[in-house]
Amino acid sequence: MTSTTLPILLLLGGFVLQLLLARWLTPVGKGVLATAVVFASFLASLTLVPASMAGVAAEAPLLAGWDGPLSIGLRVDGLSVLFMVMGTGIGAAILLFSVRYMEHEEQGTTRFYAIMLIFVAGLLLLAGAADMLGAYVAWEVIGLCSYSLVGFWYKQKAATDGARKVLVITHLAGYGFLVGLVLVYARAGTLAWTDPAVASAFTSGVAALFIVAAMAKSVMFPLHTWIPEAMNAPTPVSALLHSACYVKAGVYLIARMYVVGGGQWHEAMGTPLLAVGCVTILVGVIFAMAQTDLKRLLAFHTVSQLGYIVVGLALGTDLGLAAGLFYCLSHALFKGTLFMCAGAIQHATGTRDLRDLGGLASAMPGTAKVWIIAAASIAGVPLTNGFVAKWLLFSAALDKGLLVVVLVGWIGSILTAFSFLKATVNAFYGVPSKALLGRAVHEASPSMLAGMGSMAGLCLLFGVAPQLLMLPIVAPAVRSLGFDWAVEMSWLGILTDRGTIAVTVGGGVVLASAMLGLLVYRLAQAPAPGLVSVYSGGEPLPAGDRPGAVDFAEMAEIAFHPVYSLDPDPGYLRIWRALTRVAGAAQTAADAVLEDRPLLPIGLVAIAALAGVWLV
Amino acid sequence: MDTVLIPLFLGIALGVGLYARAIPQGDRSWWRFAAATVALAIAARLAGHSWPHSWTATLLASAAELVAVGMVWSGGTDAARAAARKYLTAVVLATLCTWAALALTGLGTLRPGAPWDKLAVALLLIGVALKLGLVPVYFWLPAVARASSAMTTALIVAVVDVGAFCELLTLRETAPWIFTGFAPLWIGLAVLSLLGAALLALAQRALKPMLAFSSIDDMGYLLLGLVIGGADGMAGAWFGILGHALGKIVLFGAVGAAEWHLGRAVTLDDRGLSTPLPVASAAFMLGALGFIGIPPTLGFIGHWRLYLAGAELGGPLLLTVLYASSAMALLCYVRVIHRVWLGPAIAGPSVGTGGQPLPRAAAVVLLVFAVAPVLFGLTPNRLRPAIEPHPHVAELTGPLVANPLGGVK
Repeated sequence: MTSTTLPILLLLGGFVLQLLLARWLTPVGKGVLATAVVFASFLASLTLVPASMAGVAAEAPLLAGWDGPLSIGLRVDGLSVLFMVMGTGIGAAILLFSVRYMEHEEQGTTRFYAIMLIFVAGLLLLAGAADMLGAYVAWEVIGLCSYSLVGFWYKQKAATDGARKVLVITHLAGYGFLVGLVLVYARAGTLAWTDPAVASAFTSGVAALFIVAAMAKSVMFPLHTWIPEAMNAPTPVSALLHSACYVKAGVYLIARMYVVGGGQWHEAMGTPLLAVGCVTILVGVIFAMAQTDLKRLLAFHTVSQLGYIVVGLALGTDLGLAAGLFYCLSHALFKGTLFMCAGAIQHATGTRDLRDLGGLASAMPGTAKVWIIAAASIAGVPLTNGFVAKWLLFSAALDKGLLVVVLVGWIGSILTAFSFLKATVNAFYGVPSKALLGRAVHEASPSMLAGMGSMAGLCLLFGVAPQLLMLPIVAPAVRSLGFDWAVEMSWLGILTDRGTIAVTVGGGVVLASAMLGLLVYRLAQAPAPGLVSVYSGGEPLPAGDRPGAVDFAEMAEIAFHPVYSLDPDPGYLRIWRALTRVAGAAQTAADAVLEDRPLLPIGLVAIAALAGVWLV
Repeated sequence: MDTVLIPLFLGIALGVGLYARAIPQGDRSWWRFAAATVALAIAARLAGHSWPHSWTATLLASAAELVAVGMVWSGGTDAARAAARKYLTAVVLATLCTWAALALTGLGTLRPGAPWDKLAVALLLIGVALKLGLVPVYFWLPAVARASSAMTTALIVAVVDVGAFCELLTLRETAPWIFTGFAPLWIGLAVLSLLGAALLALAQRALKPMLAFSSIDDMGYLLLGLVIGGADGMAGAWFGILGHALGKIVLFGAVGAAEWHLGRAVTLDDRGLSTPLPVASAAFMLGALGFIGIPPTLGFIGHWRLYLAGAELGGPLLLTVLYASSAMALLCYVRVIHRVWLGPAIAGPSVGTGGQPLPRAAAVVLLVFAVAPVLFGLTPNRLRPAIEPHPHVAELTGPLVANPLGGVK
């Protein structure tokens, strides 16, 4: 056992312990064990940071002599460390949250925690795999884990439908990864990411296949439709799936492709990927605005946010990669927090429908504070890591002269802010809905608050001092991809090198505009603070009421109505129906010709074989 | 190869025996036929290993196929007898064709002169297609699956067919000209099977014929690997056939358990069987994932190599065919898992508490056979055949010898 393999082996050991001790441990005990194991794995992952900062890629065999000459080994570089730290750190917080969240489950907790551990281990293996075959194995292990976890409540139709969609869409697209690596192996005879022979075999077509696989995993339009259906899983699963361990697999794959031949794929595929990312930003957020289910709303925001991350990676510059990877980490923190808050709300109120919520800030003050921090972060409010991530991304796009990307990102940010204003107001402020009357709504338990609060705290910490994350984690990851990037960044994410003047002036203008708006608002006899109307699901507000955050969202829904026809699901359904029709017709023909009259096909084969051997 | 196959067949015999004691698969005659089928299949492997140049192995393997017909016949129903007649037709014709082909080629040790070599290949093509139930001469396999108990079909697919396929693997080593010289025909047969059977599997509503078509689809894959040959194609076919054997025992076993519970055939109209049969449900899911070729199962070890062999031979076109077949197989299995096993159970006399519970012995068998492909998928080298060439191949490295049909040895 080496320090390189330790994070993965700890998780595998924890998996075995979960199975062995299942009979004796309570659900809480299983949760504590899983949390401790993932936290230990997190600490073990942190020990890899110094080597990655020094630019050293640590190699170690994991399954030597696995399959003939092929083995599964690790090559842990800066990019690997970033994903390993993210997966285990976020995983530990989410599992801490799970301890109380899952304590009342009557059955399946061993299955739950065991698969969660393999889920995290799968991400670590993906991130550390020395070659494409190991990465593909991990890719599919992650897929299987998410399938099992989304379908955790397998007796509920909604849960199994969600799991089915996850498996079908991501696996069918995932064959792209398999076909791509097969083509590389057929040409190069090796699959090591860093082998020069692989670089020469890694054509644009192979890159396109990899990108298709990554698009499905990372919910890029139009392969994103599985994610809202996966919301019927236990909330810790949703949190882990959305923040760290599943959707980030595609991000990893795109980033990892930069080590192959110095990122030669980018020349042909960079622009299409950039376009996909931009479309995904807008489609995701516009769909999110129409949601009244809190978890579905967050799911569509995942689509949108992943668009930002992929845009950063698709820019193909050092600053773009830094932005994409920092965004990746930031998103893990704020989206994991938001999902845990949504879970705490559902745990306390029995619903996650915004129309049935309201006024929770008084009953759940801790959860409200944590939510607001994470919501501010996803909206890109200064002092949060979300702001730094967007700031970096816009700087990278401006640096490359891509104003359209900045415009798309800016529109997406505004709509994200509206969407979260709507969600925040309707969940936490106003008067409680009738559905909550008589229900004893309680605050989340201390361990749940600790899990989500710790991540919210990091959102603020890395918002104020992003260099704490940039120097040890992000910069080595960027350098491991072949970009010589020196971090020149100060507090609040303000860059001190190129792009400084443009972005800082831009930021100043925005800040001044906001202050001016506030001044006008105050001078125009702003009404005294009062109750805010709870989102009504679309009905008109009472006469005399003032337009509020809800109405902005509603106006956006009306304005963007044509976008909702961009749902690709009906297209997939048509393909499926056509396929089953063809199969039915084939069966009818086969019954009549092949099954009921055996001598006919035998005669046909005999004639074909005899004719064929003379023709070949 | 035999050092793996013989223990595999013994393990299958033990597992099926335990399962059939817990969930009856037929009367006493079924037991006799089933035991004789496995015994003859094992004897054929032993004979093939001990006397590679004799007809003993071929005769024993053919005897196993004929006895397997008796296993189907022992079902006693009209449908079973009709299926047995179809199977018998296929076995007899296949046996005649393959024997003739083997006679012409001296059991694969020589290449006869034209036109006998062409005739031998044509006969072998027909024989193999009939034996393995490939498209378009698959008529016997779905009929057998519909009319027989689950483990009857499982034994035929996992022992008799696997034995026949391994004979073909040996022939691929000893007489490569049969495959390389006529590759388009073999590839055509394989592609027709893997696409046609995958499509027909999608059209089935009853689970046992669906599994039968899925077997045919998989055989198409494996045949493709065998024909392409080389280290990747042969290893793909080898690991694939092992995964096929283990997977089919699990899949048919799980469906058999569901039939036992329901007291009738299982179709896509059944719902929520995971509630009363959680172990069978989990076993079916694991078996299906292995069959589809999802890592880390043994099925993946075979399938990715078959993809590789496909890429080396047919490039993107063949890869597209393989992808289409894999996609249809995935859709087919996922549909079964989510319609029949997972989800809420529909209240009724047959589902829920009314049916018979899964006997413990059957549950243990299903779990062992479901987990085995995962464990072997993590340690595939344990299943890798010895590196030494087959005795036939060793002899072929000697000087060429004239043969009565005008070819060379």
